[in-house]
Amino acid sequence: MTTPLLSVKNLTVDFQTADGITRAVNNVSFDIPAGKTIGIVGESGSGKSVTSLAVMGLLQRPAAKIPQGEILFNGQDLLKFSEAQMREVRGDQIAMIFQEPMTSLNPVFKVGDQIAETLRVHRNMSKKEAWEKAIDLMNRVGIPNPKARAETYPHEMSGGQKQRVMIAMAISCEPKLLIADEPTTALDVTIQKQVLDLLFKLQQEYHMSMMFITHDLGVIGDIADDVVVMYRSNIVEKNNARTIFTGANHPYTRGLLACRPKLGANPKRLLTVADFMNEKGEEIKIDTTKIQVFEKEAALDKPSDILLEVKNLVTQFPIKGGFFNRTVDQFRAVNDVSFKLRKGKTLGLVGESGCGKTTLGRTILRLIEPASGQIFYHGKDITGVYGEELRLLRRKMQIIFQDPYSSLNPRMTIAEILTEPLVIHKVGSGKQERLDMAKELAEKVGLKVAQLNRYPHEFSGGQRQRISIARALMLRPEFVVCDESVSALDVSIQAQVLNLLLDLQDEFGLTYVFISHDLSVVNFIADEVGVMNAGKIIEMDKASRIYKNPKEEYTRMLLSAIPKGESKAPVL
Amino acid sequence: MKENSLWKDSFGRLIKDKTAMISLIVVVIYTLVALLSAMGLIAADWAKEVGASNLPPSSEHWFGTDIFGRSVFMKVVRGTQIAMSVGVATALISIPIGVFLGAIAGYFGGWVDDCVTWLYTTFSSIPNIMLLISITMILGKGIFAVYIALGATSWVTLSRLIRGEVMKHKEREYVQAAGAIGGGHMRKLFRHILPNVTHIVIINTSLQFQIAIKSEVILSYLGIGVQGEPSWGTMIDDAKLEISRGVWWQLAGATLAMFLVVLAFNLLGDALRDSLDPKLKGK
Repeated sequence: MTTPLLSVKNLTVDFQTADGITRAVNNVSFDIPAGKTIGIVGESGSGKSVTSLAVMGLLQRPAAKIPQGEILFNGQDLLKFSEAQMREVRGDQIAMIFQEPMTSLNPVFKVGDQIAETLRVHRNMSKKEAWEKAIDLMNRVGIPNPKARAETYPHEMSGGQKQRVMIAMAISCEPKLLIADEPTTALDVTIQKQVLDLLFKLQQEYHMSMMFITHDLGVIGDIADDVVVMYRSNIVEKNNARTIFTGANHPYTRGLLACRPKLGANPKRLLTVADFMNEKGEEIKIDTTKIQVFEKEAALDKPSDILLEVKNLVTQFPIKGGFFNRTVDQFRAVNDVSFKLRKGKTLGLVGESGCGKTTLGRTILRLIEPASGQIFYHGKDITGVYGEELRLLRRKMQIIFQDPYSSLNPRMTIAEILTEPLVIHKVGSGKQERLDMAKELAEKVGLKVAQLNRYPHEFSGGQRQRISIARALMLRPEFVVCDESVSALDVSIQAQVLNLLLDLQDEFGLTYVFISHDLSVVNFIADEVGVMNAGKIIEMDKASRIYKNPKEEYTRMLLSAIPKGESKAPVL
Repeated sequence: MKENSLWKDSFGRLIKDKTAMISLIVVVIYTLVALLSAMGLIAADWAKEVGASNLPPSSEHWFGTDIFGRSVFMKVVRGTQIAMSVGVATALISIPIGVFLGAIAGYFGGWVDDCVTWLYTTFSSIPNIMLLISITMILGKGIFAVYIALGATSWVTLSRLIRGEVMKHKEREYVQAAGAIGGGHMRKLFRHILPNVTHIVIINTSLQFQIAIKSEVILSYLGIGVQGEPSWGTMIDDAKLEISRGVWWQLAGATLAMFLVVLAFNLLGDALRDSLDPKLKGK
């Protein structure tokens, strides 16, 4: 067997923090053969990104220490390289794509110049040569009309296009190894598919090796040859992709595979990693009642109370322009939307970013004023309700936001956050009673009572989302809008939160509008699904019917973009 | 039970910063001196003749004596009281105005914002010293006019900073969440947004404080500030006649006192900015 392009041997990385030394990567070894793709999978904090930064020599010194290990690239130990030597390797031999295309491009330079810059640094090209090569690269990564687009600035491009520019920069020097750190996590499914296809195509074309880092096993099925699974700083499983997807050894890997909702199968609850192994990492027996597949009840056929009815709803935003910043036009974010929602059911709204689904959710809650149309809640039109009456309505209708980091006030304790709704609506007789109510609900969403006097920054993303859910439920609402409430979470945490939402729905008889760009999530949680595009609901039906027989071309495209969660690598 | 508010975290970072701690000690000493002097416990008899005219510094008279044989050291102490009182008074006047106007402008936007923006662009388009002079001219000379003049001009920066920060925070989801649970404007603004922008007030005050002290010195030097009391400004003004005769200690005393406190406030302001940095943890 030939020597691999990159060989990581017994790598250990420690971080010096105020509370002592934390081990981020523990004795990790893996190889990346030339021309192959390795997927590194794990949840946030598992050490996967730290590993990639170590390979790039980008760890923050002196906080990070590498007490042992070797990173052999073409037989040379990168850890022994000086900073000057590393600079020659970086961008030239090893290139990297980051997660957030919005922030990894410099906003004040033209994208063409940014691609050309790498070439001028590493290839000593003239300005003109580099510019021409940049246009050629933009063409290769599938940016239409590259000559004109090279002259544009990053803010004029969409997220997917920016990520393509990042890829163009990364491959500009034809690197031997490309490190992609969650390159598609911030993108819509349809764009994600395009980017994955592009990466696969380029990898074949340039015969690169690729190290693909992600929290979502489903994503790498299509492109990885081998998969390395990391959990709590250690590698728990290394195998070829097919074996991982068909017969994973480690319970953690099986948990990761199971926690992603799949199209066509509707278990009562999603299995999570906790169903496969206990706290100590030992395998446990699966409780099979949880995975019973059931056919969702025909929500539309069964008579039950209509809780919410939306009729011809329009929400528009003014477009400002002209000399005095006058309103020159209106942008219709929600354009003539109508639907009915029955009590205790879930309506899923799916669509790509910018389709108006978030605006629709907020308009229903009257957080944004509609331009026209009606919203009937319990048969009463609430579009004309103001003041005290609207405040009372807020008790019944709640929202859970997407970003668990910005949706909690950083200067308030969890107890203050949870009791605030009670204070506003004068529920409960005193501080102690309100606190008791907060404690009760905190336990229901899986928080520990002892944590209540802590502040939000001391919690992980998943825990913060539980706090947001608890806050929304403090007033015992009947109707909750979940706005991308699980999109910012790792798949394993996402499954836990989805299960929690279902448990709470059963217990409190909640009615949800569940907004998401992820069709598989919506399919799992929703009874009915509405597909949104350009402000309109273009197709609406029972969840299972939408997935089996999509009527609209757009729905079919969304469906085909979902990662299948299986490997297409050939059987060895 | 560990309870870590962002304030506590910031304070933890601050006390580890040696420069900040030394600056803080200097500021505390100045404040104590000013307080004791204001209560008449020290330097109450600054006007008393303690020796011959224009004695150079010695072990008996640390900063020497002035033309009337008064102790320069006592005058510096007395001047400290004036300087610190100007700083405090300016802060007391400018913080409420700046925070209130900045907050409502940033939060409500629209015509409220237009009015406030118009007001502070107008204020900042007038050269500061001209404005100060005209205000003291209207109110008459004296320390009270200096308070008002400085208070009326130094809210502008704070207001602008608060406005921008409030605009940023009002779009945050936690503020929208407060709206979704039925919270009104007052709750959103005062309970949620303001605590998240208070650090700006603290940082800005520590930097404005020394600007106020310097402005008082300039005004007094120009003869439109403090009257009949020793202040660092009047001392420097006196010194311009003395210096040619080789009497440098009055100038040195006032300048040294001002230099130390201004430096301390500057360093403290920088350290506060570092430790109170609003970049939220976990982000």
